[in-house]
Amino acid sequence: MSEAATRREAFETANQLYQNRQYDSAIVLYEKILADSVESPALYFNLGNAYFKQGDLGHAVLNYLRARRLDPGDGDIEANLSFARGYTRVQMEGVRLNPISSIMESAVSGFRLSTLAWISALFFIGLFVLLSLRFGLGWRENWLRRTIVLVLVLLVVAAVFTTFKYRHDFLTRWAVLTCDQCPVYIGPSEDLDIELQGAPGLVVEIVDQSGEWYNVLFENKRRGWIRRDLVAEV
Amino acid sequence: MTLSRAYILCLCVLAALFTGAETFAQVTNATAVTVKATLDRDSIGLDEQAILQIVVAGTDQDLPAPQLPTLPRFEVYSQGRSSNIQIINNQMNVSMTYRYMLLPKQPGVFPITNISVVYKNKRYTAEPLELTVLDKGTAASPQLEDKSVDPTGKSRDYFLDAEIDNDNPYVNEQVTLTLKFYIAVQYYNTPELTQPPTTGFWTEILGNRAPYFQKLNGRNYQVLEVKYALFPTQTGELSIGRALIRTTVAAPSRTKRRSVFDDFFNRGQEITVRSKPLTVNVRPLPTKDRPDDFSGTIGRFQISATPDKTEVEVNQPVTVSVAITGIGNVKSVAEPEIGDLADFRVYRASSNENVTKVDDQIGGTKTFEEVFIPRRPGELTIPSLKFTFFNPRTSRYETKRTHPIKLNVVGSETYVAGSDVPYSTPGVSIGSQARDIRFIKQELGGLQHRGSLILLSPVYMAVNGIPVLVLIGLVVVRLRRERLSKDIGYARSRSASKVARKRLATAGSMASADKTEEFYAELSRAVTSYIADKLNMSPHGLTSDKIATLLAQRGADDDLVAETKELLRRCDFARFAPATISIDDIRSSLERGERLIVRMESVRFA
Repeated sequence: MSEAATRREAFETANQLYQNRQYDSAIVLYEKILADSVESPALYFNLGNAYFKQGDLGHAVLNYLRARRLDPGDGDIEANLSFARGYTRVQMEGVRLNPISSIMESAVSGFRLSTLAWISALFFIGLFVLLSLRFGLGWRENWLRRTIVLVLVLLVVAAVFTTFKYRHDFLTRWAVLTCDQCPVYIGPSEDLDIELQGAPGLVVEIVDQSGEWYNVLFENKRRGWIRRDLVAEV
Repeated sequence: MTLSRAYILCLCVLAALFTGAETFAQVTNATAVTVKATLDRDSIGLDEQAILQIVVAGTDQDLPAPQLPTLPRFEVYSQGRSSNIQIINNQMNVSMTYRYMLLPKQPGVFPITNISVVYKNKRYTAEPLELTVLDKGTAASPQLEDKSVDPTGKSRDYFLDAEIDNDNPYVNEQVTLTLKFYIAVQYYNTPELTQPPTTGFWTEILGNRAPYFQKLNGRNYQVLEVKYALFPTQTGELSIGRALIRTTVAAPSRTKRRSVFDDFFNRGQEITVRSKPLTVNVRPLPTKDRPDDFSGTIGRFQISATPDKTEVEVNQPVTVSVAITGIGNVKSVAEPEIGDLADFRVYRASSNENVTKVDDQIGGTKTFEEVFIPRRPGELTIPSLKFTFFNPRTSRYETKRTHPIKLNVVGSETYVAGSDVPYSTPGVSIGSQARDIRFIKQELGGLQHRGSLILLSPVYMAVNGIPVLVLIGLVVVRLRRERLSKDIGYARSRSASKVARKRLATAGSMASADKTEEFYAELSRAVTSYIADKLNMSPHGLTSDKIATLLAQRGADDDLVAETKELLRRCDFARFAPATISIDDIRSSLERGERLIVRMESVRFA
């Protein structure tokens, strides 16, 4: 049997286990498919559901986020992600996002990186076709000049969004708290004071690391150090 | 007109009242501050310490710090603070925890009163506490004092003590194991604990206590304490093995007198300390009076049931949260049995558990979400649900019940008496959309390799790279064409070689004995006009001497200059005395001409 068929069969078996409420076994099977270094939005989504049904909020949110990165336009993923995040025991107070980046975030949140990249590529190609007409073939029409400016502006906008999306999804190290007890310390040691108590399912940005510790930034801009084994990178 | 104005005015007043009431509610909420003070122990020895914990809780982020009363009978040290913020149902709850260490100066019973905070000009005071300070050493048990000396009567530098609070528990009842590492010498690294083997128990760590000091036989020990909750899973004699601690302590100094260098150069000595094994005799649960619905949970629990609504349409779901809260292993709590109900269809949506550790006791809440779908309209009642457990304190089985829940079920347009419309279609999870996650996907979709990034894929790079190359190519071609059309010198120079070759070919076709004159004329023109084109000059008046000078000025080597001169001279000679020329001469002259043109390509004429 081909590899693809084996994986499809494993996926269907896992779904069956899920429907029989054998979430543990379903999780094992989904994870086994992922262990082959392949991924798909549906795989992460179902795995997130299985974790959620098991009461493991941290891993549920983690897998929904991974699913959303691959398919940001999927309503089911978004619905379950916000549902699961609503269960997070500790919500962060005083969320003050940078207004520009939050506008950018909401603008690109519905698109995949590949979609944005292809849109940019389209404008890029368009621009070079027009430039070729202007400078390669020497067309000097006015409409051509205006179209070049327009396409250039569109290209810049598309490139900015693509870069933002790439930075947000692939360069920024997002992580989810997967622990039951998540003490966040003021420095990388358990002997120091506790800055705050995290809760499973909270999403953080990893800004630094030191040995077995991550310096994490919460969505409300509070910072602290948490043991590496208590979080999972998206 | 006036009526409608009055109406608008009324609306405005109502709106203002409503907003005002809400603001007022927020203000009254915001001013709620509580102060709670607790001690980790009620009584301590004179050589020990107590930890005073003060929790200030409220709904404001800027809570004030508590004011401590003067405690002349204690030395007080701050142990830091921590904060915890929760938002539940849009309500922010902030709690700040302050810890203080109290070291007693004299024995006695001391009240601790007047711990307060002042918030918005109002004083909030905690409940008073009382701390008993026992006379020197009385807090330590005689057995512990014995353990601090070895069989020869010498005081031990360190030892590991293990104790349990109950050596005759029921199966599944919590036994608390306390490991205390006493150390009276300096140690260099954090002691590393290996948990004791606890086969036959389900084990949960309760946590570490902050290190403290205790005096035994007149010697001051630092105590590191860790606690475990053990739940025996079988009856009979079970053993708790030895715990191990490894650390490095200061090696005893060889010289009698200690110097400052001792500490500096002392590399230390690795030690391993073991605790004594313990035995627990686990009792089975009594079979007498055991209720049928008992599912094996031990502890002390309460049960409650809360519906999400009490007014509902027929065939629409009501979610009832059944919470079982208490002390004991909540993970073992089974779903209460509901049985078949004539008026409802029942589904289980989900369950979750929240395990807590309070006062060294494992406990918490397990919540079951049950979905009830009424089959008919009217006043319907969800009967009381019961939960049975065994209470080890009273050694009896106890059953707790919820109150019955009354529902007002109204008919809906789609309801037909006697019909049993399935509420959920297969593959859609039970519970309204807002109450549960959306169902899993049945299609795996296209699998891609993890980490594959579109921006780095060859296809994407090629698609973006090709138009750039096309543009560069087109621009280069166009620029060349433009220069060729405008710059005659450039155009002549570019075409010089081509023209010369053409002329050589023409000359070649005349290479026979009867056209000697024409052949040499064409050969001479080929070379002369090549140089004239390259230099953008007129070919007329270019003599062999002038050509030689021009070539020499452009850096052509002497050999090339001489050969060119020689060839042109030969051409002149042949044209004026054609009879002396053989066919071999013609061929060799043609070859020389061709060679010359090739060699002159490398001369920089520009």
